Amino acid sequence: MRLRPAALVQLVAIAAVAAFVATYPLYKSDYEATKLTLVGIYLIAILGLNLLTGYSGQITLGHGAFMGIGAYTTAILVTKTSISDYATIPLAGIAAGLIGFLFGFPALRLHGVYLALATFGGAVAFVSIVQSTHYQGLTGGATGLFFGPLKNPYYLTWGICAFLYLVAWLLVHSKAGRAFKAVRDAPIAAVSSGVNIALVKTLAFGIASAYAGVAGALLAIRLGSVSPLSFTVTLSILLLTGAALGGLGSLTGMIFGALFIQFVPGFAEDHVSKTAPQVGYGLILLAVLFLMPGGAAQLLHRLGTLLYRTTRPLYTRAARRAEAVATSTRSRT
Amino acid sequence: MRKGMGTLAVLAAALAFGLPAALGGAAATTPGVTAHSILLGGTFPLTGAASSYAPIPRGMQAFFSYINARKGPDGKRGVGGRQIIWKYYDDAYNPTQTVQQTQRLVEQDKVFALVGGLGTEPQQAVRDYLNQKKVPQLYVSTGATFFGSDHKKYPWTIGWQPDYQSEAAIYGRYIRDHMPNAKVAVLYQNDDYGKDYNAGFVGGLGSANSDRVVATRTFNVTDPAVTTQLVALRASGADTLMIFATPAKTIQTYATIARLGWKPGHIFVNSVSAAQVFINTAVQLSGASTVNGSISTYYTKDPANPSWDNDPGMKLYRQIMKKYYPSGNDKDANYFYGMAKGWTIVQALYKAGKNLTRESLMNAVNHLNDSTNPFLLPKVVVKTNAPKDNFPISQQELIQFENGGWTPISGLIDTRPRG
Repeated sequence: MRLRPAALVQLVAIAAVAAFVATYPLYKSDYEATKLTLVGIYLIAILGLNLLTGYSGQITLGHGAFMGIGAYTTAILVTKTSISDYATIPLAGIAAGLIGFLFGFPALRLHGVYLALATFGGAVAFVSIVQSTHYQGLTGGATGLFFGPLKNPYYLTWGICAFLYLVAWLLVHSKAGRAFKAVRDAPIAAVSSGVNIALVKTLAFGIASAYAGVAGALLAIRLGSVSPLSFTVTLSILLLTGAALGGLGSLTGMIFGALFIQFVPGFAEDHVSKTAPQVGYGLILLAVLFLMPGGAAQLLHRLGTLLYRTTRPLYTRAARRAEAVATSTRSRT
Repeated sequence: MRKGMGTLAVLAAALAFGLPAALGGAAATTPGVTAHSILLGGTFPLTGAASSYAPIPRGMQAFFSYINARKGPDGKRGVGGRQIIWKYYDDAYNPTQTVQQTQRLVEQDKVFALVGGLGTEPQQAVRDYLNQKKVPQLYVSTGATFFGSDHKKYPWTIGWQPDYQSEAAIYGRYIRDHMPNAKVAVLYQNDDYGKDYNAGFVGGLGSANSDRVVATRTFNVTDPAVTTQLVALRASGADTLMIFATPAKTIQTYATIARLGWKPGHIFVNSVSAAQVFINTAVQLSGASTVNGSISTYYTKDPANPSWDNDPGMKLYRQIMKKYYPSGNDKDANYFYGMAKGWTIVQALYKAGKNLTRESLMNAVNHLNDSTNPFLLPKVVVKTNAPKDNFPISQQELIQFENGGWTPISGLIDTRPRG
């Protein structure tokens, strides 16, 4: 099988990331490793976001709330039942996935900015609901739930992340993935080719939310607690920003998106402006958008093409010379 | 599988060489303390919804700079010749970030102690971790009562300001003693903060007088408005309104009752929201006639209240701000709060002595008796006596708002002994 140059670069990038992640805790401190754990958690979340927004074309400002649903599922199960924290991860994914799938139905009627607003409303409502006195016995109200010590589920997070990355890749390269893209790019053509738009859209919501739920469960395990303050609209905006900067519609790009979410705000605080870190963050954001409007994925793609173009003449020249040598020897005989 | 074995070998080697070094290092010295420096850390919301508190660590910074530059009673700069290095990070009022930044301060920066960390939920998220690691979590910037009352379970944690329950108990007792016919409506924020206040108030009023409370309503901190709650409270026929909310919500409450045309007669407002800057905004939005007569408490002087202008403590504060943080608005009570807290930290460090360890610091913090803080009200003593008393500041004065400023209407009220 021949690989396209961009695909080759992607593969190399993924292999490099995998090697880096696998060995990182061996020579770095516990604290340093927790930062990468968070990168893994964000990566899982935006892989899901990318399936929804990047591939099926539905914009969402409520992804953080689905992380919250996953996190609260874990926290509630651990405090109220005897299920161990790790065992709650798939359940958190299923719970968030189901709620996301159901949320997909009303979302069917909304497009573009209206869908963004509806999901934004959902994110705001989520925080109010978990804080409300009515469900306080379950959710711990404004205080949240405390159920365990701080943990660093590093390899678990990255193991799950690798698995879900593969699932996303298989999905994108399957018939379902093509249906996702068809619904995004040409809904009418998709219908006429027999794609069930309603099913595709709600399914995309469900899968994306399941990813977010798993990420939320891992975050709750990491913190040993949940608090409504961790799942405000700010998180949803941060996730969408990360996914957009990574390059919506590209899986590899999400790695950069997750790195961005974890490291750029802190970088802005430490190196750009201590007194106004938000301004620094905004400036970096603008710079990235101007320099690579298609996100990190586009940059990677260009890099791959560039590498191919600069190395191709060498190959072709060598090939031509070899051919010339071959013909000259042949002509001599 | 061969690759897996290789990883295992590397891991084993890392453990074999890394562990003894780490253990040896910890035993030899106290983290964050050298002959010439003390490294302190903290987390604060420098960005996000709660970033109005960002001046607190900067006020602390200004004060530490002043301490580092001046010669102390022993003729040395800093605390006993040690310069205070103050590292604070942004947690955006998000517990996920509080955990990250606290671990960073403890494990990477290796701070001696955490001081002044802000917010009930964020500080609660790291309380287990810090106590397990035996790292002091001192003078958290929240009045949640449990930071003092949980001393037995969390001996490395302590608050600073008067706790919300004892403050509200003062209002309860005032109504019990001076307002026998009051019909009280209570509005409180539906979280630990608001509930702490309500519990203290109900306790202070006493169960015999609980019928004076005619209506109680709560709101969520994320609610955009408090109008429905206030309409219901007005309908109860109350003549006294208790507002137990954060500053922004308190201002909103004043503005809303003005718009509704409700004149409750008596309004009690919690100390956090009563700072002059917030009340000035309330006056702007709701008119002086709505705010006049409001009752609250305080324990620090107020930099926005001109009656303190000739006070030596206020002069020292302005001088330090001018020299070390000239870009800050010195009328903002948050800078002042940070500086007053900085004073207590420095006193505790002095008391801990030359041989500074985390244990000696905790011992000093648990048995402090400092009546010199120039930023607190005259005669307020910062005092602890563990395990019986773990509330450093327990004296407050009732104040009433008239003609654009607060004036005291009581002497110092001591909420010790508790109970």
